[in-house]
Amino acid sequence: MSDSSAHRPQKPLELILARNLLTSISTPAFLVDNRGLLLFYNEAAGALLGIPFEEAGRMEAQEWGTRFGPIGSDGEPIPFDQLPLVIALREGRPAHANLRIHSAAGEEHDIEVSALPISAEEISGAMAIFWPRHDDSPNGGGEE
Amino acid sequence: MRVKVWGARGSVPAPGPEMNRYGGNTSCVEVTLSDSETLILDAGTGIRTLGFALATGIANINILLTHLHLDHIQGLMFFPPCFRTDSRITIWGPASPEASLEHRVARYISAPLSPVEVRELPCDVSFRDTPPTEWEIGSARIRAESVTHRGPTLGYRVTDGDASLCYIPDHEPGLGTPLDNVEPEWLSGFGLARGADLLIHDCQYTDEEYPEHIGWGHSPLHDALTFARRTEVERLVLFHHDPLHTDDFLDGFHETALDRWEAVGGRSDRLELAAERTEVKVGSARELAAS
Repeated sequence: MSDSSAHRPQKPLELILARNLLTSISTPAFLVDNRGLLLFYNEAAGALLGIPFEEAGRMEAQEWGTRFGPIGSDGEPIPFDQLPLVIALREGRPAHANLRIHSAAGEEHDIEVSALPISAEEISGAMAIFWPRHDDSPNGGGEE
Repeated sequence: MRVKVWGARGSVPAPGPEMNRYGGNTSCVEVTLSDSETLILDAGTGIRTLGFALATGIANINILLTHLHLDHIQGLMFFPPCFRTDSRITIWGPASPEASLEHRVARYISAPLSPVEVRELPCDVSFRDTPPTEWEIGSARIRAESVTHRGPTLGYRVTDGDASLCYIPDHEPGLGTPLDNVEPEWLSGFGLARGADLLIHDCQYTDEEYPEHIGWGHSPLHDALTFARRTEVERLVLFHHDPLHTDDFLDGFHETALDRWEAVGGRSDRLELAAERTEVKVGSARELAAS
């Protein structure tokens, strides 16, 4: 298929620039569009999740919201609408949470997640950055 | 549709005997539509001489600004139709949440930088944010989209009948991403340029100069050629020449560009460097054959 026959519409510039930024940093990071469709995660996120984005591919919001099993410190799954990226998209504001995730390789990681909406004229998507959690804080699950 | 270059220099005017052939004026391109209406792309210093050349009977003038860096607006204050009472000038440009287009342009056309204020111009001038969707001016349909540069910056696509022109004078689409294999949907400016009959595109730097200028908002030769190849344009005009690049330097740069262009399958008669007063007739192959 030639480039000019590609049928996916071009992404808004702010998402293009966000993806370029995420590609260039070593902090694990996710990028979703305004519907929550997973557009991209970087190599560092791929290492954490146990599967590179090129293999995982695009995912609908409900899929990435459950595939990696985000759970709170009580071991219960975190409700979808309390995930930081979902809050960032729906409410148009930053959100933060402590989570435990399961990688595709079967490992568990305690992480902190910060998400923020990306908007130009309107919200066109959101990005989330993950940090491995090194403290014993009991603040697991949901937004802080 | 006819296109004439009145200024092809980037960053700052670069007059001098060693710059005469390509010219030292900054960005300005005149587009004459099939219904004889005139569009002006950017208002760098080239617009001053364009203004003298415009027929005095032209009352409606649309100026489409890509952004408000000085090399794209500096000629506005010296554009002769601004000082005629029978001129109706509409200036289009990128919206900003910070201030209106008029207010932002007026920062330049006001004291202490200018002896004249916008409100003192005798012409009928209005300022309009470019709409998010395609709109019409005369026989043309115009589309503006944000592209990668420093600060809010637009590229334009002008479609008149079957003829299409894409103008992206300041563009760094390769910032943070390899242009050769990024998916089209992630390529800044792709939707504007794809399949255009003529692409006028930033090519400020040689590939050797670019590493010292990453993030400055401009393209090296490799990226300009790759962008043109990826978007499958019919014809490419390299634009926004660095003010340090003399005529002799640009002649050599042109040779290098042609070698690279032909190496990837481009036709040598479809690539040129913009030079002041150069005119290009834009149309589909069928239209040009019939003309």
